[in-house]
Amino acid sequence: MMRGRVLIPIVVLAALLLSIGLVRFMTSAGASPRSEFLAATMSTEAVPDETPRWLVEISLPDGRPRVVTDRVDSMGRAVTVSCASCHSNFDANTARRSSDEPPMAFHQGLTFQHGNLSCVTCHNPDDYNALRLADGTRIEYRDVMLSCAQCHAPQARDYERGLHGGMTGFWDRTKGPQKRKSCIDCHDPHAPKFPSMTPTFKPLDRFLEPTGPGD
Amino acid sequence: MSDSDKRTISLPVLGEVSRRTALKAGGATLGLAAFAAAVSPLAGLRGRLSAQELMQRHYKELSADDKAKIFERLENEAKERYGADVKIKDPKAIPGVRYGYAINLSVCNGNGACMEACHRENNHDRSTNQSYIRVFEMPIGTTDFKHGDSTYTHDVPREGKYYLPVQCFQCENPPCVDVCPVEATWQEEDGIVVVDYNWCIGCRYCQAACPYHARRFNWKEPQIPAEEVNPDQGYLSNRIRPAGVVEKCHFCLHRTREGRQPACLEACPTGARIFGNLLDPESEIRTVLRTKRVFVLKEELGARPTLFYFFD
Amino acid sequence: MAIQAQQARPGHLVSYPRFLWRSLVMATDGSLAFYAWMTMLTAVALVGANAWANQVVDGMIVTNMTDHVSWGLYIANFTFMVGVAAGGVMMVIPGYLYRNKEMHDVVIIGELLAIAAIVMCLLFVTVDLGRPDRFWHLIPGLGRFNFPISMLTWDVIVLNGYLLLNLHICGYLLYIRYLGKKPEPRWYVPFVMISIVWAVSIHTVTAFLFSGLGGRPFWKSALLAPQFLASAFVAGPAFLILTMFVLRRVGVAISDRPIQLLVQIIRVTVLINLLMLGSKLFTEFYAGGSYTKHTTYLFFGWEGHNALVPWIWTAIALNLIAAVLFLLPAAMRSARVVAIACVLAFVGLWIEKGMGLIVPGFVPSTLSEMVEYVPNLTEWQVSAGIWAFGLMIYTVALKIAIPIMRGEERFIPPAESDPAETIHDPPADQPHAGEAPVTDQTQADPPESDSGGESGRGP
Repeated sequence: MMRGRVLIPIVVLAALLLSIGLVRFMTSAGASPRSEFLAATMSTEAVPDETPRWLVEISLPDGRPRVVTDRVDSMGRAVTVSCASCHSNFDANTARRSSDEPPMAFHQGLTFQHGNLSCVTCHNPDDYNALRLADGTRIEYRDVMLSCAQCHAPQARDYERGLHGGMTGFWDRTKGPQKRKSCIDCHDPHAPKFPSMTPTFKPLDRFLEPTGPGD
Repeated sequence: MSDSDKRTISLPVLGEVSRRTALKAGGATLGLAAFAAAVSPLAGLRGRLSAQELMQRHYKELSADDKAKIFERLENEAKERYGADVKIKDPKAIPGVRYGYAINLSVCNGNGACMEACHRENNHDRSTNQSYIRVFEMPIGTTDFKHGDSTYTHDVPREGKYYLPVQCFQCENPPCVDVCPVEATWQEEDGIVVVDYNWCIGCRYCQAACPYHARRFNWKEPQIPAEEVNPDQGYLSNRIRPAGVVEKCHFCLHRTREGRQPACLEACPTGARIFGNLLDPESEIRTVLRTKRVFVLKEELGARPTLFYFFD
Repeated sequence: MAIQAQQARPGHLVSYPRFLWRSLVMATDGSLAFYAWMTMLTAVALVGANAWANQVVDGMIVTNMTDHVSWGLYIANFTFMVGVAAGGVMMVIPGYLYRNKEMHDVVIIGELLAIAAIVMCLLFVTVDLGRPDRFWHLIPGLGRFNFPISMLTWDVIVLNGYLLLNLHICGYLLYIRYLGKKPEPRWYVPFVMISIVWAVSIHTVTAFLFSGLGGRPFWKSALLAPQFLASAFVAGPAFLILTMFVLRRVGVAISDRPIQLLVQIIRVTVLINLLMLGSKLFTEFYAGGSYTKHTTYLFFGWEGHNALVPWIWTAIALNLIAAVLFLLPAAMRSARVVAIACVLAFVGLWIEKGMGLIVPGFVPSTLSEMVEYVPNLTEWQVSAGIWAFGLMIYTVALKIAIPIMRGEERFIPPAESDPAETIHDPPADQPHAGEAPVTDQTQADPPESDSGGESGRGP
């Protein structure tokens, strides 16, 4: 009985040490040479735990692709219509490209500056409620990031790893969820360049005026 | 002179006293009175400086009981002076966690939302726009701050520029901690360098020691409107600081030790900031270190920052 | 013999309070000029105390310091005064180590200067604290003393240690002389020897405060501590020479020899100081580079900011002129030349090792932001107040020490003294040694031939 009590912790400890060693071996085997400052932080690897993790919530678009019209409603809000409401009846000008002059009448509010794409590079001419990939595969609107990823592979890769696009919520998903945006939350798909911003906040800490007492 | 010394005058109680001694006593009394008058402004401290605060021990010497009392006192003070109902907590470092931060300078556009978020989250003085973060506009092609500017107000980003936010790097080998004469600042298990605002004597040696302008001094008592006070406060982080002590970025430990992201990261509209556990090989921050070519500022000084920059 | 004499006398319980009382009497007695001088100093000190009280209540915002330039006039004065305190050792070394008799007679002037200067140092640090109410955190045992990691704790130890050493040496010598006895070497010579090493340490440690900061290239120089010492050994002796001139004016007989010896010391140290300055400037400017920006700012201004340029060139000019004057043969003859040179050197070094050393370390900031610093009225008031207080201490200390050291003030055993004598206070600047009842001891040890511990130690 006594021997059993002593043995159990020893076995557990040995198993723990072994697994730590194994994990360290596995992680160090494939590691690239690191500079001194990184090596120090990584010398004490934690064992990846099996605590269940919260999900990452990604704000995906729902509904159908819509376009802003030049109309406003009685509340002053821009009226949007789904692409299909017109284009189910008549074909779009598939020859039109981003670099061309402003689009036709109904799309006049639309800035289209996205490489040398045409509308139907992403929109599906067979069903304007959906999108399509370069090979013609139909995808749903909520899978728009697949479409982006075709050209923007590095960004998509980084997004997948959590390095692009930012997040809110918890860094530690054993404690709570994370919220991520989709590509088109930050980048207008028709003009994806991140917009210019005006800084609203500047330090005023007695900065360049050291003369007046008490200011 | 010599004659007058020997002259005596008669005083009640004291009797015969030499005139010179009497004059001296008078002069001394006058001098003392003048001194009392000179330092009389110190009376203004009454009511602002309690005996408990004066006698308070160092954070590491406080029992759970002491802490509970101190937090309650601080909460009452916040109510009295700022009219705000605050809750002070003291989250501990999570075992197995060492924080790292990375900023993608290819993405950062210098809008400064992080500075403002820090300002609000951390109950900084409103009039000075105090913040632990400073964003520098730098010309492409150099990392010499000589060419940088933190006062730009024009629209960003500007052609030919990149933007470099600087805050405390929570160095692994923090020079500021070494110099503190009273151990009022130290590095926690998770790498965050904290300050005991109730122990700091305000000598500002740490400000001189920091190579990155990361430390701030409370030149006066911070002014914050009651409705703007962030009630979610940590004792070692964002509680309202007293005047005359040094403070610094603490990676929002009152948030991050609960698993949440720091305020500056959540506020960043460009997603340039990446935060996480350096000891977790699966973490985002480790992915940055593995897949990006990161650099730190003034690496040659050997402070070993744990906030990394990269361009991609 | 000394022991026998002690047994014959009343105990220290009687004589020590009497010594303190007589010190108080002597310290508060003097001519009209003395009272005017002390009143003026008191007034300035009170203005300083008032400014400081306001600073404590309103916060350090009332100074011109910023997060960018977080140390200013206070720490500049502190650094300089450490040098002055250390400089006093330049009298102690010849006085005790080389048994220069004439220097030995006046060495107390240097030791008392060290006391006054250290008190000023401690005050300058105190007024620089954001939380002076938490001063006790610095006291080992009570607070948390980050020794030996923090250089500031080293400084606390060496400065207070130096203060205690000098208080002991001066207090012991004065008390024993007051009793009319010969000081026993074992009670002070070891302390003097320690204080010589200690004097070097206070300025070295203070230099290490700065040169240990890796992020401040302006200070991170191995030359900083030697530079501090060289300038200390100019500024300290210069102040002592000026003190001796003033003492002569008020009727204290001081021979030319100690002054000449100090001039000779300065002749060397002033050149070493200039050599080091030149060496530093060469190293900074020849190769250039981004770390040069602080020195560039100091000497030539940087991007249109040049608040310190007039200061430093004034300092350089003063130091150069002072060096030339000291090196002139006339410096050995003319008191006027020496006095002028001393004033120039003292002021020049006060700028160079004060504002010229502290402020450029912060400008431009570690992130190259350009925030300049010029002290404001509050800081000038507080600093002037501390200077006035320091001068008060020095004046009073000299006033007590000189008559005692010259044997003009002696202990009168109560039995022998007339009660009326206790309030008979002769002006200290008028020698009247003959009036005091003379004991056997004082006869055996007349003031004229007195050379302190050495005569007792001699074969």
